[in-house]
Amino acid sequence: MTDTEEFRRQPPAPLPARPLNLPEPAETTLANGLRVVVVEQRRLPLVSFRLAFRSGDSSDPQDLPGLTDLMTDMLVEGTESRTSRQIAEEVARYGATLTAGASSDYLTVAASSLAAYADEVLELLADVTLRPVFPENELALAKANAQQNLIAQRAQPSFLAGEAVARVLFGQHPYAVVASTPESIEALAREQLVRHHRRLLVPNNAVLLVVGDVERGHVVEQVERLFGGWARGEVSEPQFPAPPERTERVAYLVDRPGSAQTNILVANTAIKRTDPDYFPVLVMHTILGGNASARLFMNLREEKGYTYGAYTQLDARHLAGSFRATTEVRGEVTGASLKEIFYELDRVRDEDVSGKELSDAKTYLTGIFPIRLETQEGLVDQLVQMRVHDLAPDYLQTYRENIQRVSKEDVRRAAQRNITPDRAAVVVVGDGAQIRGQVAPYVARVEEFVGARGGAAGA
Amino acid sequence: MSTVTLPQAPIELYTLGNGLRVVLSEDHSVPVVSVAVYYDVGSRNEREGRTGFAHLFEHMMFQGSENVPKAGHFQYVFNNGGTMNGTTSSERTNYFETLPSSQLPLALWLESDRMRSLKVTQENLDNQREAVKEEKRLSYDNRPYSNAFLRLNELVYQNPRNAHSTIGSMEDLDAATVEDVQRFFRTYYAPNNAVLTVCGDFDSEEARALVEKYFASIPSQPSPPAVDVSEPEEVAARSEIYRDPFAQLPAIMLGWKVPARRTPDFYALSLGSDLLLDGDSSRLYQRLVKDEESVVGIQGGMGERRGPSTLYVFAIPKPGHTTEAIRATIQEEVKRLGTEGPTPEEMEKLRNTLLNDAVRSRQSTLFRAQRLAEYTLYDGDPHPFNTELERYLAVTPERIREAVSRYLLTDNHSVMEVVPAHAADAAEEAPAPAEPEPSGEPAQPGAPPPQVPAPPPTEPAPPTEPAQAPAETAAALQQEQASPTNE
Repeated sequence: MTDTEEFRRQPPAPLPARPLNLPEPAETTLANGLRVVVVEQRRLPLVSFRLAFRSGDSSDPQDLPGLTDLMTDMLVEGTESRTSRQIAEEVARYGATLTAGASSDYLTVAASSLAAYADEVLELLADVTLRPVFPENELALAKANAQQNLIAQRAQPSFLAGEAVARVLFGQHPYAVVASTPESIEALAREQLVRHHRRLLVPNNAVLLVVGDVERGHVVEQVERLFGGWARGEVSEPQFPAPPERTERVAYLVDRPGSAQTNILVANTAIKRTDPDYFPVLVMHTILGGNASARLFMNLREEKGYTYGAYTQLDARHLAGSFRATTEVRGEVTGASLKEIFYELDRVRDEDVSGKELSDAKTYLTGIFPIRLETQEGLVDQLVQMRVHDLAPDYLQTYRENIQRVSKEDVRRAAQRNITPDRAAVVVVGDGAQIRGQVAPYVARVEEFVGARGGAAGA
Repeated sequence: MSTVTLPQAPIELYTLGNGLRVVLSEDHSVPVVSVAVYYDVGSRNEREGRTGFAHLFEHMMFQGSENVPKAGHFQYVFNNGGTMNGTTSSERTNYFETLPSSQLPLALWLESDRMRSLKVTQENLDNQREAVKEEKRLSYDNRPYSNAFLRLNELVYQNPRNAHSTIGSMEDLDAATVEDVQRFFRTYYAPNNAVLTVCGDFDSEEARALVEKYFASIPSQPSPPAVDVSEPEEVAARSEIYRDPFAQLPAIMLGWKVPARRTPDFYALSLGSDLLLDGDSSRLYQRLVKDEESVVGIQGGMGERRGPSTLYVFAIPKPGHTTEAIRATIQEEVKRLGTEGPTPEEMEKLRNTLLNDAVRSRQSTLFRAQRLAEYTLYDGDPHPFNTELERYLAVTPERIREAVSRYLLTDNHSVMEVVPAHAADAAEEAPAPAEPEPSGEPAQPGAPPPQVPAPPPTEPAPPTEPAQAPAETAAALQQEQASPTNE
């Protein structure tokens, strides 16, 4: 090693900060209620569209789980004037993308392309949204493939863990359902898709985001032409049973014989996305498990070497939320890992975080904020979240102030309200014979969890 | 037809006195900066008995140096508002961070400190060995199809430099010593064996001065030993059956050895593979998923390397369809492309897709930093970042036809049939799972396989996220191990 120059001893001071120019979205509402948000961005000759509906998998009728997913997947499989293959080929010819997908709270139809094809691609997006025909042969194929995919998913321990935790946390609430079953997919018929499409995909339940190298007046004109005749519909806020009240800490074991690791999820219900405590919870999550310098990672990986990664997840959705600590560890240290997880969950509730941890977490969150806005996709994501969750119109402008405002007391309160170790659901997916006894000392009891298809299949 | 041209990134390339190649690319759209350091060492440099070492070493680069404590790298980056990671492939090891542009000095301080003064202790090595073993379990051993793919790679390549996996074996990870780590550092982690790139919102003059300050005094080292990654000419097909302890559904994997990146044949094959495999409009998707309804899904692409590269295909058959029949259909489609060549519509699709992907991927400073570093390391020149697209766009339909015919309509390919172990056990009362076993299938003349995937630009995350089991394996197929984190 060469002699150490003095300047290497300490981290260098930053250069002067450079300004972030936040985009200025312009919003218009058509007569039928469709909101149109345009951000003109001339940096590169690209455009991104996203049409978001404020209804998702939670809209599945109780007796038809999987309906929203299947209906959404089928949008690109045939319209009044185009076959599935014609859609795929036309999209490809423009070098574009066109996809549709649903999550629990909303569904989106997304398209992107070179700006030169903006009009053509928007026309395709309108066609699959407004005039899908759900052809019988395509539906039969989509159902068969969805059923096979459900079987394939069960090979993934992370899927099994997610399925179990949703079920035990959310009970009769629609968030309890992570995936449909082959039987319920079998039961879905074309007429149900047609009706569901007519009910959900209405303009007054939607917002169209457009970001890119486009001229706003022209885009609005095109949108008016393509979507102006789309008839309004009824939009109802669905009512769901509240998640069950938990009273004790219980483990749910998904037996996966021969498993090379144990997937651990320690979870409880938590705030929904619109909760006024969102920012305190976000900061708390960052300190406890938000990244690779947070407490869980430093403890379980860097100190103990139990895992490749240990994190927390803040899953704050529209109607309810959950907070989870998650890691994957070799079977022998399943119990030892639970001990460390509960140590960290208790500590963040029982003690104030340090001033340095608080300011580090704030710097992290405010610093990565502009990185997310580098791409059109990242910006559209933010704009969609704002609209589907009714966040403040100046959400992006005030984001960093809202982070800065969080105090130690806020963090402690957020931890106490959103982490409840004595009532936690402890999901473990692994080799039952190896881990059952290791888990037992940390919980009131261990229940065997059997998933939709007989739990895990394994070796 | 579109008249779009690729916006050109500004590029400044220079070399420090100690041999460190530096690339700067200014862009003031967003106040962030990405820094990437690429070292010319990957699993191709590993010796026998030390597979997985380059990747284990990469983890050690986050364990502290003279002025940065263990895990300090994560903390300095995150706690100053950035993101970071490191990855290892067969070709190279890279480290990168994206930060608010004001933190450029911090990134250079961190990268230079570990380049000049990595600290290695037994305790930290033991700790990271465990983390890497968990990474191996997470990404391979506890997952369907992943280990079968690693085994396919061992069939495709005969040269051990190419054949073994980046993650390595548990035994070899156990065998690694502190002395190995120190020797590896001295041999490969020298400024003259690395490239540094800086992209984003900064001032070039200022950046040059900072790079000089932090990196110029790091001494150069003798050049590392050259690596021979050449492969024998090949005519035999190979095939095996893999009993997968976790797969729920059977699968078929095919692999071809193809020419190196940046050769005319590679460009042509890459486009041929796009036509066969890329997206819902591709020939194999339309034929197998839509027309025959014989597979649940199909994916594939190019494993791009500086030496002999690969083209692979992965498909999950539906019940009632044999892997043999699926192979035959794939072969038929390859033959059709190798005989008739692409249609004019397909050429238009390739052109627009190449353009859209190339422009779209450039939105990210990190993407630009990584690509510029890669070209500089592999080719000694970052400018192909701006010009390589032209090479792809210049490929004629006839060249695609020829390349497909020459490289894919041959016996030079490998086939892996994945059988779910639980199904196999039920059927035949078999021995222990997990071990691949030769199927003894003879090489078939003029046999089957397919071909290839994606060209030069990589593409940003898709806007909506249908999670599919097969997609999970895509990462495994690329065999890139990310070090600190998989957030």
